[in-house]
Amino acid sequence: MSDLYSGTDLFSEFDRLQRQMESLFGGLPSSIRSSRFGAFPQINIGTTDDSIEIVAFAPGVDVAGLDVAIDRGLLTISGERKPAQSDAGDDTRTYAQERFTGPFRRAIELPQNADPDKVQARYTNGCLSVSVGKRESSKPKAITVQ
Amino acid sequence: MQSFKEQAMNDKTQVAERDQNAIARRAGDQPTRRMTLTPAVDVFEDSRGITLWADLPGVTRDKLDVKVHDDGNLYIEAVAVVPTPTGLRLQHAEIGEPRFARTFSLSPDFDTSKIFANLQNGVLKLTLPRRDEARPRQIEVQTN
Repeated sequence: MSDLYSGTDLFSEFDRLQRQMESLFGGLPSSIRSSRFGAFPQINIGTTDDSIEIVAFAPGVDVAGLDVAIDRGLLTISGERKPAQSDAGDDTRTYAQERFTGPFRRAIELPQNADPDKVQARYTNGCLSVSVGKRESSKPKAITVQ
Repeated sequence: MQSFKEQAMNDKTQVAERDQNAIARRAGDQPTRRMTLTPAVDVFEDSRGITLWADLPGVTRDKLDVKVHDDGNLYIEAVAVVPTPTGLRLQHAEIGEPRFARTFSLSPDFDTSKIFANLQNGVLKLTLPRRDEARPRQIEVQTN
């Protein structure tokens, strides 16, 4: 069953454990390009036999200012989120400001078999979904037993 | 649960809670208890009332529930639905749950019948107007 949220495989469990350890001890080695945990936008990554699926949870971002690029196996998502209340008057009091504002950039190292010519990106309901196809030769094949 | 004004003081704990929730997952041995994420919010107040913005990525209007109960609390509950191809195997997850929930207590000076909600690109904007009689009035000082 496909599920974007609750991965049960060993990879994601290990991933979660590593992040918990990181928060406790302040740093096991991770990819030099990975941001600290909790960076905006948060990202989930999954794979199918045909593609690599990346979802960036980036609500309230102007699509025109959203940039998705692939360069030598590195997928970069960047843009800027403007403050919600730009017309704040003098009498405006702020009680909470938890939502991220400002420029952001996240990079994802794609596996070797990713095909940079087969990329689709779509922004709906505040989620950016990027689908990167895999090269034909890398897809799983059933081997006929003679 | 918090009132909007307590929020300012409790900002730090809220942020910490959010981060914990983000990595928490439904435990395999507790299938009935559902974890929810606490959405990040901005809360502003001016003379007209309060404006609240909440991040709800992947939430559509029909999966969003905003209500004020008899107890005077404002409830925001939502479920994110992100379409994915069949056969997806999750490799890395920073958002571990599709459910959002957050509750605020409202003081009686808000007109709960006139709350306005708008959801756009995964951001909820709520405006809570103050009752007319609760709005600040400038009192003219007479001199002789």
